[in-house]
Amino acid sequence: MMVDPTSERPLLGRQLTRVFGEGEMRTTALNEVSIELERGQVALLMGPSGSGKSTLLAVLSGLLQPDSGQVMALGQDLWKMAEIQRERFRLKHCGFIFQGYNLFAALTARQQLEMVVRWGEGGSAKEARRRANEMLTLLGLGKKAHLRPSELSGGEKQRVAIGRALIKDPEFCFADEPTSALDWAHGEQVIELLRNAAHERNATVLIVAHDARIIPYVDRVYNLEDGCLHENEEEGRAEEPHDHTGRNGNASAPLPQHTLRRFLQ
Amino acid sequence: MSYSLATLWYERSRYLPGVLAVAFSSLLIALQCGLLLGLFSITSLPIDHTHADIWMGAPKVLSVDLGESIRESISARLENQPEVTRTEMFLQGFSYWAKPAGGRELCMIIGSNLGDNALGRVDALDPDLRSKLSEPGAVVIDDSDVGRLGMKGVGDTAEIAGPKGPRTVRVVGLTHGLKSLAGPYVFCSHGTAREHLTMLEGQTTYVLGKCRNPADAETVVKRLKEQYPDQSTFTSAEFSYRSRMHWLTKTKAGIALGYAAALGLLVGAVVTYQTLSAAVKGSLREYAVLRALGIPRWRMALAVMAQSFWVGVIGVGLSFPAVYALAFVAASMGLDVILPWQLLVMATGVTLTMALLSGLLALRTLRQVEPAMLLR
Repeated sequence: MMVDPTSERPLLGRQLTRVFGEGEMRTTALNEVSIELERGQVALLMGPSGSGKSTLLAVLSGLLQPDSGQVMALGQDLWKMAEIQRERFRLKHCGFIFQGYNLFAALTARQQLEMVVRWGEGGSAKEARRRANEMLTLLGLGKKAHLRPSELSGGEKQRVAIGRALIKDPEFCFADEPTSALDWAHGEQVIELLRNAAHERNATVLIVAHDARIIPYVDRVYNLEDGCLHENEEEGRAEEPHDHTGRNGNASAPLPQHTLRRFLQ
Repeated sequence: MSYSLATLWYERSRYLPGVLAVAFSSLLIALQCGLLLGLFSITSLPIDHTHADIWMGAPKVLSVDLGESIRESISARLENQPEVTRTEMFLQGFSYWAKPAGGRELCMIIGSNLGDNALGRVDALDPDLRSKLSEPGAVVIDDSDVGRLGMKGVGDTAEIAGPKGPRTVRVVGLTHGLKSLAGPYVFCSHGTAREHLTMLEGQTTYVLGKCRNPADAETVVKRLKEQYPDQSTFTSAEFSYRSRMHWLTKTKAGIALGYAAALGLLVGAVVTYQTLSAAVKGSLREYAVLRALGIPRWRMALAVMAQSFWVGVIGVGLSFPAVYALAFVAASMGLDVILPWQLLVMATGVTLTMALLSGLLALRTLRQVEPAMLLR
C-alpha cells in the first residue's frame, strides 16, 4: 500500500459510525460522520461533553476502530491496515498531544523527546539529543531541557508534550483538549505552536476542545453534536494572520513562533 | 544513564521493596549455602587439615569418618607407584568416651604418626603436643568439645571404651577450630588409638600416600583405581568433596536448603513482580502516549526488563556486604560460613534470573496500555 504525501486532503473520514454500549446503555458517538481535513490547516472540533469529539479524533488517528465507515490517510485506508501497519503509520506520520501532559516523572524534558527518537526511530543517542535540544529551543525551553516535569510549570509541561509530538515532524498532529489544564496565557501559546506546526510545517492539525477562545486561531471549526458533524464556516479564519503580541499580552513568556519559523525555513 | 536507571533512581522509594526483596533472596541463598558448606566442611576435616596427597581405604567408602579396617599390607600397592615417596597408616574409628560425672559420648578416635613430616597428623598439633601424645593414653581434644566430653581442661582424665575394655586417657592439650559433627575428635598416637578401636593386628583404616609432585596424585589414583577395584583410592581433594557431599545428601540438608532457598526466591519474586508491576501501572498513561505515537510495545517491554535487571543488580550488590557482615557475626558465634567465589556467582545468577522472571511477569501489566484511555 503506497502513501500519497502530496494529497491536499490527506485525511478523509467517510460515513464514520461508532457506537458504545448495548441495550439501554447504547450510545451513538458518531453517526455517519464525514470530514475532510486539509494540509497546512488547523481544524477545531468542538461540541458539548459526550458529543463524540474525542471518539472522532481517535477514529481518524487510528487509535479506535469505527463500527463502519472509512478513514483515508495519505491515500491509505487506515482501518484496513493490519495493526502493526497502523502502528507504523502512526509512528511515521502522527503526533499526539493529550490533556494531562503524560510525561515520565523521572525523565528530563530532553529525555522525554529523545525517547521518541531513540525508541521510535532507533536513532542514536547523539542524534536524539541534537534533535531534542533543537526542538526544545524552538519551544522556548532550551534552558529548561535538564528539568523534570515536577520542576516545570503547566504550560511548560504541555510545550514539552508538544515537542514530543512534533519531534518526528509528523504529517498529522492530533490534540485532545490540549489547553484545558492551562490558564489562557499558556493555552494561547500552545495553540500558537500548533498553528505554526500546520502553517509552517504544512502539517494537518486537528484539535478537540470546547474552549471558544481558540476559534480565532484556527482555520476551520467543526461542531459535533449527538454524533452529527456540522462545519461552522463563519468562525474559521483560514490564512488570516494573527496579532500575537496584542492577544498574548504576556511579555514574560514570549511565543517562540519566530524561532520555529526560522527552523522550518 | 539509561531511562530505566534514571527512573529507578528518581523513583527509588517505589522500587525499594523490589530491591530489598532481591537483596533478601540473594542474602538467603549465599548465607544458607555458606553455612551449609561451613557445617559440612567439618566432616572432611581429617583430610583438609592433614598433608597426604592420596587416601586408600576399604572398598566403596562413603565418607572419611565411615572408614573400615583394611590390611596394612596393601600399602605396598601405593609404595610401588614410582611417583609415591612415602606412605603412612591412619587409624580412625568411633568409640565411646565415658564422662567422669557419668554418661557416655560418641567420639571419633584419630591415631596418626606424630613426626614432623607425618602425613596424617592434623596441623594443629604443635611439637609440644606431639611430644606429649607419644605417651600411652595421652589424647588431645578440641577446646570446643571440652564441656561436651565432661572435661574441665588439660590434665583431666576419662575412660574410652576399647576391645579389651575401657582404658583411661588423659587430656594433654587442646586444639582450636577442629569442631566435630557426629562425635568429638580425639587425637592420639597409633598406639593409643589401637587400644580403643576394634581392629586386628596388621590392620589400618586408611593408607596415606605422598607424591614427589602433588600434581601426580590424580594419575596415581586413576591407575590404582583400575588396578585394584577391591579398595577405594582417592586424591585428598576428591575424598574431601566425597565426604562433604555424602553428608549433604544423607542428611537431606541439601533438600532442606533447596526448599528454604526456593521459598526465599518465591517471596523475592512476588515482591519484585509487584514492585515492577506497580511501577508500570503508575506510568500507564505515559506508556499509552508512546503507544499512540506508534512506539512498539516490545520497546516498552525492553524498558521494563531493563528495570528488572537493574533492580536485580542493585539488590545483589546490596546483599553482598550484608552477607559478609552476617558471616562475620556467625563466625563470632563459632559458626563457619564458607563463601567461595563460585557460591557468590551462583547466588548472583539465581537471584538475577529471579529478578528477570519477575520482570517478565510484570510485562503482563503492559497489556493494559491502551492509547484510547487518554481520550476524554
